[in-house]
Amino acid sequence: MSEYVVVTGASRGLGLAICRDILDSGMSVVALSRTYSTELQKLVASKPELCHFVEADLADLEHIPALCKSIVKTFGRPYGLVNNAAVGHDGVLATMPNGVIDSLMRLNVQSPMLLSKYLLRSMLLNRKGRVINISSIIAKTGFNGLSVYAASKAALEGFSKSLAREVGKAGITVNCVAPGYMQTDMTGDLQGEKLASIKRRSPLGKLASVEDAAAMVSFLLSDKGSAITGTVMTVDAGSTA
Amino acid sequence: MNIEQTVKRAMSDVAQLSDCQLIETIEPDTLLLQSGLDSLGYAMLVAQLEEELGIDPFTELAITVYPATFAEFVAVYAQGLEQKRD
Ligand SMILES: NC(=O)c1ccc[n+]([C@@H]2O[C@H](COP(=O)([O-])OP(=O)(O)OC[C@H]3O[C@@H](n4cnc5c(N)ncnc54)[C@H](OP(=O)(O)O)[C@@H]3O)[C@@H](O)[C@H]2O)c1
Repeated sequence: MSEYVVVTGASRGLGLAICRDILDSGMSVVALSRTYSTELQKLVASKPELCHFVEADLADLEHIPALCKSIVKTFGRPYGLVNNAAVGHDGVLATMPNGVIDSLMRLNVQSPMLLSKYLLRSMLLNRKGRVINISSIIAKTGFNGLSVYAASKAALEGFSKSLAREVGKAGITVNCVAPGYMQTDMTGDLQGEKLASIKRRSPLGKLASVEDAAAMVSFLLSDKGSAITGTVMTVDAGSTA
Repeated sequence: MNIEQTVKRAMSDVAQLSDCQLIETIEPDTLLLQSGLDSLGYAMLVAQLEEELGIDPFTELAITVYPATFAEFVAVYAQGLEQKRD
């Protein structure tokens, strides 16, 4: 198999778009999620040598070491890791169930840390690699009802900067991509006037699409992105300008 | 090759990969971080041994304190291999 990238949350939304874009660039993909969606099945069928699905519940932290071990054993040393899987539960903090806070932090923060820990090892031995964490503009802007989600994304950004310093001399870059609002299942509730107002307020008069954010991920994965590390690339059609 | 030799060989492989210079002789009580490997080199050693031996004893045995000396480090791997055989 050609050089491959592990992409989490690959069954739909941004993760699926990232897989598509990476495959178009000629690299291989190991796609992780809990469900093997019809769209992902179609993608795998279109490039069976390059695209592989591995079923995984990434909130199940105990199983991450064994999962990484089996990925490396089956596919060899990964070139890159895209931590994209996340949940975006919203709600007022004062009434948010503690279990929801806990599970969100596990999937959005601890799971990317552990996946990075175990998959970085192969990259260290390869003396090259890429880790890309999907953040959100909410990490820095603030949004009513998203305090816990925002904290999880800010945590990922802090994690990425220090990790970039740690592994830079081994030729590994670590960055975040921070999309603005994109129309996916995660933002399915955001409609009507609220959606129209976000579009209106953006300098470009539109939202960024999953393809726009995926293109930034591909750029960071490419040789052209080799001098970029420890930073956050915003793809939001200018919403935060 | 016994486990001690395997670890020594892996140390020199990793040192070469990461442009580190290992000290002349590694004694049982040599501190790993004074063997010429830096902390990232130590991490690479664990990665290299995981590929060669198929075990990460620190994760598998839930060891929370990483050993300081060469002998302690080798002992952890010996224990890990033992467990794998059982
Ligand atoms: N949509 C936006 O407006 C927006 C804006 C900024 C940032 N983002 C970020 O972009 C990323 C992708 O978001 P999206 O909009 O594409 O979300 P989405 O449509 O809800 O997709 C989430 C993906 O994560 C996977 N996932 C969820 N829980 C999982 C688990 N326990 N184990 C493994 N995989 C799991 C889902 O697959 P399964 O359900 O099959 O497991 C799915 O593939 C996230 O990091 C999100 O925070 C989104």
